Amino acid sequence: MRRRTLTRRWSFWCLVLLAALALFGGRLFSAPPDAEVAAPFSKPFWLDRSLPPTVTADLTPDAPSAEIPWSWGAPSRFFVAADMVADAPGRTILWTKPGGRTVEIAPLKKGVERDGRDMAFKRALGLPPFADGAASLLDERGTYRLSVDGQGPWEGTVRLRLDGGRWGLFGTDQRGRDIAALFVAGIRVSLLVGIMATLIATALGTTVGLAAGYLGGWFDSAAMRLVDLLLSIPMLPILMALAAIWGKGLWQLVLILSIFSWMGTARTVRAMTLSLRDTAYIEDLRGIGAPTAYILRRHLLPETLPLLLATMTLGVPGAILSEAGLSFLGLSDPRVISWGRMLHEAQTFGTFTAGAWWMLLPPGLGIAVLCLAFLDMGKYLEERTDPRLRGGALS
Amino acid sequence: MEVYGLDKPMLTQFALYVKSSLSFDFGISFLTGRPVADELRSRVPNTVALLGSSLLLSALLGTWLGIQAARKRGGALERLVLWGGALSYSFPSFFFQLMLLMVFAAAIPIFPLRGSLSVPPPLGGAALFLDYVWHLALPVLSQVLLGFGGWALYVRNLMVKILGEDFILMARGRGLPERRVLRGHAFRMLLPPLLTILLLSLPGVVSGAVLTETVFSLHGVGRFLMEAVTGHDYPAAGASFFLLALLTVASTLASDLLYGVTDPRVRLERGRGR
Repeated sequence: MRRRTLTRRWSFWCLVLLAALALFGGRLFSAPPDAEVAAPFSKPFWLDRSLPPTVTADLTPDAPSAEIPWSWGAPSRFFVAADMVADAPGRTILWTKPGGRTVEIAPLKKGVERDGRDMAFKRALGLPPFADGAASLLDERGTYRLSVDGQGPWEGTVRLRLDGGRWGLFGTDQRGRDIAALFVAGIRVSLLVGIMATLIATALGTTVGLAAGYLGGWFDSAAMRLVDLLLSIPMLPILMALAAIWGKGLWQLVLILSIFSWMGTARTVRAMTLSLRDTAYIEDLRGIGAPTAYILRRHLLPETLPLLLATMTLGVPGAILSEAGLSFLGLSDPRVISWGRMLHEAQTFGTFTAGAWWMLLPPGLGIAVLCLAFLDMGKYLEERTDPRLRGGALS
Repeated sequence: MEVYGLDKPMLTQFALYVKSSLSFDFGISFLTGRPVADELRSRVPNTVALLGSSLLLSALLGTWLGIQAARKRGGALERLVLWGGALSYSFPSFFFQLMLLMVFAAAIPIFPLRGSLSVPPPLGGAALFLDYVWHLALPVLSQVLLGFGGWALYVRNLMVKILGEDFILMARGRGLPERRVLRGHAFRMLLPPLLTILLLSLPGVVSGAVLTETVFSLHGVGRFLMEAVTGHDYPAAGASFFLLALLTVASTLASDLLYGVTDPRVRLERGRGR
């Protein structure tokens, strides 16, 4: 009845999926995650079907025209930009309306840009200064066409973007970045920080625990007092101070987190070492003159390893949550995209003023699911290493 | 230079710092230009009210649920406790609180979005108190919902162990009513470890206060610390650290003293030790 095999745990597949997304997820998106792809606060595409979507089209010499079917109201922005190697005299960018009327957007020159909101562009189109350029360019339903017209060679790309109110799976944030892309980029930071911090903390805790348990004496009492001290300190304020002093980089964060999360491991390992220290085979080893380092490395460390695997997995959620908490408070590198950072920006920029709840849900649920998956995985490993625990939570 | 005593030697500076910290004279905030002690004085009661009420409520609710779950093993309540415990370890608290704000303050405006009091505050003692409670309701509710799972899980695990002990069987065998078995026998065994977990959870609770106060924009020490750290307001940051440390030490001491009250054996051992 109980699921015992690894491949039948939901958490295993969840972690595999998230790891795969972290490694290869960037390829799902054509633009880098911090690129502005649509209007700020665009809704997810499935949310409000009456809103126009965000449409992009690229023109190249091989495909010099693009058809845009349009059956919505006016978009909020009409934007054309030419990314050219050189000017192409004799060529123009043309906009053909469904009725067949054509509008000349701009001559095809290096770096030329036209925005429906620009005064100069509106004047060139013959519109009054307060008119909506995008609305006059897309004033009926049907198939529009953007093309490069005229004679002569040209090289480069002409890019069209019509900002509707919808974009992608999760919409966009306050800067018009794709939240789905940010979400996928954030997995990497959460996994990296969580796993690295726990690895370092486990290594530190194991070393201290082994040494304290085996050597005993003053080292033991000193180490355990240090553990008590660190355990009684509220972590977040200290982390905040350290993050403010040391800087906000990712590696500083990993280091800070690991310094404050090795205590539990040290205690467990010490307890285990204490119970093993006086067993017959360790005493025999001492009797035949085995050096302490050898006993620790070859006999005591392997004994603790299965247990360590479980405590390590159970420790990852703590590190992930701490990282998210710090980033949420704004104490992380603003250039690094992480789920905590996304929540921070959601709170400061959009969630309440713009009602952009789609900025909030993906990163938050992502953190929760990732932590639950690690927790479940840890429970599984714990049960495998200690069968007495079977039947506990989540099994 | 002279204002901050930077012209004096290092040791003198440190002595001055210790002296002023002990007399709660924290200097003047870089950001607001007002004495930090005044700023803090208006904030400490708020933080204590938030932490105290949420800790108390979640402990009560969690203990009750945990005992009920242990009594009826395999029931729906036990499953709720197990999942609640797991969720409370893995759910980012600030996300949960933002969601609550989103639903109960932005979408359905029955609770205030931010602050500890309305602006301007209502006149009259009762109205002021009600306004305060209204502003505190959502933060406390969120802390309780996040906190009770861990308590319940812990109490349930302890209780399952205690209910399997011989003296419980004996009490039941003597024909004592179930209520007396639970209250008189099992619950007494539960109290000392409960205090231990209270003690161990205190640092985490203080950390949580910083996040909670930031999310709900409460007028408390945690948010003051947050603003001081981000604004490089050193006197304010130092003072808030000092206060949070003091708060932790004081509550640790309090629960340490309570330990003796709940477990007579501890008192005896200490008495013998002296």
